Amino acid sequence: MAAADDAHLLERLLKGEQQAYKELVTAYQSAMRVVAYAIVGQRHADEVVQDAWLSVVRNLGKFEGRSSLKTWLLTITANAAKGRYKQNRREVLLDDLPSPHGTIGAERFSPDDGHWAVAPYAWHQDTPEALLSEDELRNCLEHTLLSLSDLQSSVLVLRERQGLELEEICNLLTLSLSNVRVLLHRARLKVFAAVEHFEETGEC
Amino acid sequence: MLTCKEQVARSSDYLDGQLTFRERLLVRHHLMFCPNCRRFIRQMRLMQAMLKRMPQAPVPEVDALAERLAAERRKGG
Repeated sequence: MAAADDAHLLERLLKGEQQAYKELVTAYQSAMRVVAYAIVGQRHADEVVQDAWLSVVRNLGKFEGRSSLKTWLLTITANAAKGRYKQNRREVLLDDLPSPHGTIGAERFSPDDGHWAVAPYAWHQDTPEALLSEDELRNCLEHTLLSLSDLQSSVLVLRERQGLELEEICNLLTLSLSNVRVLLHRARLKVFAAVEHFEETGEC
Repeated sequence: MLTCKEQVARSSDYLDGQLTFRERLLVRHHLMFCPNCRRFIRQMRLMQAMLKRMPQAPVPEVDALAERLAAERRKGG
């Protein structure tokens, strides 16, 4: 949403216009939930989002438009999540769960010269719309995202679906840039492997 | 010259603009000569585009939440 749209929406929010809140929730709640999920996990994510909304409403008057409304909302969500957060996430940070369809790992390359031993399989469609028109592939993608660790899937969704910059993800989740890069790369390779498997076999 | 394995290892950084100028050139140079890696990168981009377009689950009870937040605002603001 552009700054001018933000400003207009903000004006209506400050007046307490219900329709404006509906637009706000519809536009941003999914992204807020991903941020909460990344920090506190599945179990508490919804509570954190509820807390964050209340905090948003109470602090609306302080929003100065120095960041986008989206960035501001996500920062409030991250702070609400960190307030609840008790376990030590660093332990699981780089845990790499095995994915049902594996990844693009070392076994795909020749140990002698590092060239592809099993070349990437050519997908049947070359537009995202055509690929997504297959219900089974869409379900398979959802399923694969769920199989990733909380942090891997969150980072991937924040980057690809929510379009955040890597630096924003680092700030929200208090992760180093190198960790975000590792998480993102591992997540992508697993999703890639799942799509490839689906294209090759028709199965998830 | 990068190997395919090295190219794949750098692929996310390449797509995210995180490589140094020199590394970026190395990847481009490899892609120029390697159809398999070109296919890999093209399909990585396709996967990114798919994730971007995946339908989001609708927010449950959006009206009730909007009503509550608007009321909270009118009460406090």
